[in-house]
Amino acid sequence: MDAHVAQLQMQYRNYILSLYQQGFLDDQFTELKSLQDDGSPDFVAEVLSLFFDDCVKLVGNMARALDQTGTVDFCQVGANVHQLKGSSSSVGAKRVKGLCINFKELCEAKNYEGCVRCLQQVDVEYKTLKAKLQDMFNLEKQIVQAGGIVPQVDIN
Amino acid sequence: MTVEHDIEAMDQFPVGMRVLAVDDDQTCLRILETLLHRCQYHVTTTDKAQTALELLRENKNKFDLVISDVDMPDMDGFKLLERVGLEMDSPVIMLSAHSDPKYVMKGVKHGACDYMLKPVRIEELKNIWQHVVRKSKFKKMKSIVTNGESEGNSDQNGVRANRKRKDQSEEEDEDEEEEEEQERGNEKKPRVIWTRELHNKFLAAVDHVGVKNAVPKKILELMNVDNLTRENVGSHLQKFRLALKKINNEANMAAANSHFTQMSSLKGLGSFHHYRPTPLGSSQFHGGAATMRHYPSNRTFAGMFPHFKSSLPRNHNDGGYMLQGKPFPSLETLHITNNNNNKAFPSFTSPQSSPLVASSNHLVLEGHQQSSFPSFSPHLEINKRLEDWSNAVYSNNIPQSNVHSKPDALEWNMDTTKTTSFCRDTDFGSSNAAQADFLDPFQMKQQHENILDPMTVAELSRSSSADEGLFMGQQKLENNFMASDAGSLDDIVNSMMTQV
Repeated sequence: MDAHVAQLQMQYRNYILSLYQQGFLDDQFTELKSLQDDGSPDFVAEVLSLFFDDCVKLVGNMARALDQTGTVDFCQVGANVHQLKGSSSSVGAKRVKGLCINFKELCEAKNYEGCVRCLQQVDVEYKTLKAKLQDMFNLEKQIVQAGGIVPQVDIN
Repeated sequence: MTVEHDIEAMDQFPVGMRVLAVDDDQTCLRILETLLHRCQYHVTTTDKAQTALELLRENKNKFDLVISDVDMPDMDGFKLLERVGLEMDSPVIMLSAHSDPKYVMKGVKHGACDYMLKPVRIEELKNIWQHVVRKSKFKKMKSIVTNGESEGNSDQNGVRANRKRKDQSEEEDEDEEEEEEQERGNEKKPRVIWTRELHNKFLAAVDHVGVKNAVPKKILELMNVDNLTRENVGSHLQKFRLALKKINNEANMAAANSHFTQMSSLKGLGSFHHYRPTPLGSSQFHGGAATMRHYPSNRTFAGMFPHFKSSLPRNHNDGGYMLQGKPFPSLETLHITNNNNNKAFPSFTSPQSSPLVASSNHLVLEGHQQSSFPSFSPHLEINKRLEDWSNAVYSNNIPQSNVHSKPDALEWNMDTTKTTSFCRDTDFGSSNAAQADFLDPFQMKQQHENILDPMTVAELSRSSSADEGLFMGQQKLENNFMASDAGSLDDIVNSMMTQV
């Protein structure tokens, strides 16, 4: 049992580290984790849930804005990108944030094709992150179910 | 939190400091809320600037500090910042993902205490209480200064009260008082107070040169008053001419005699004080100014500004004008006074403007009129008191349509409860459910945007009227100065002369 727990914990640790190393997550995510405590045990999960909801909404807005057969309102797109940048940086979604920075420049340049492409990338990226974090949460669940505690991963 | 807990918390400042967090991004808001809780502050959150304003207005002392995002759909964060600064004078911290210095500058210019970049770190939040301390210290200092000033003001009032007693004060005294007031006024801006005596001199001068030839320079020379500038005289002359013109126009718009008298006095009064070049959104006043023409009774006029009585200092309604606190003398007195002083406009024993001329003009013509003037006394004095009054009137009269859009509160609650749908066990919080929830706030947002419009209008009118109140106090008629109808003025002057 303990071995199993230990194994799971090791798996978890490695997984988290890889997420950081691959640039999916950054320090802000660590901060977020540090805010989670016994008082709010699901804090990270809650926030991430909100974040992904935001992603769905904002990507939808941007898709609509870029889908205009008439003139594309780049300001509108830009505003949504800006918001996505804000929230992604707040949760530590590093790759998504990086894409947003590019996206913003494309909006300012009114590069339609560039924007469309970038939006697709954002879409892929946040969904990927979502899947990865889901795996992470599942691991946590397994650890807890196996009687262990979720380890604090030191990212350094 | 229980009340006791709150009280305890207050004593342990900055623990328990009450923060209002505003951000339309729910992710950021949630994080911010948690961070603030971690700093042991008392946090209230909302994702609508509108709601934030309402909460703040509900009780101006409810929050110690406001943290607001810059980009919000229903209201620009800078605008909110301004509003809060104007109305509540609470410290506001701006929050944004924009690191562009120009945004920071904008924040500073609009009065932000601080500008933080997203993502916000807890270390930064741990120190925000300093802004509260700083602000309250500043306020204390300010109140000391204003107390000093208000003492000066009360002296001014005392001086005016003295004038009340001296019915026919010596010229030198008047001048001295003016000088004093001007000197004191130098703290802010020197203003000439057109006292009764001063105005009489003005009239005498105008009369002497003839209205057609009335130029500020000549009038100034004739008046021979110290500390009076040509500009003072010029602006006074403008108002005088304007009011006369209006009266003349009213005279042409014949109505029943009694109505006419009252109307014209009202109109004169109203035009003198409430005429605005472009009433931004304060259509009620514009309408008011126009509708005043049709008011048969002056009571309605007073009724238009219901709070006027209370707000105007020393507003003794003796049924007559208030000449700096002195009740308007009856016509007979006027006549007498007039004969003693100058042969110009009988009613011009007051610093009141032409409206009085008008009224007395018609008084003269009519033979007599009981002073059924409304308590609303048009002060020609361009001074702080008038500004205060105007402000008070306007602010009272603008419908306080702080739209209490209940949906906002509901939406907010919805958002906060919604998040519990997510937990580790589920597949990222039931994104489906989340989406369903999401639509609602979205729709509600649409509603709010609609609600915004009247709010904005009210806001505009409120702010514009506040501005215009000041504006009125200072420059009112100069903007509305139109080419004076010298011919008709002449007629009025002549008719006055003959009557007298």
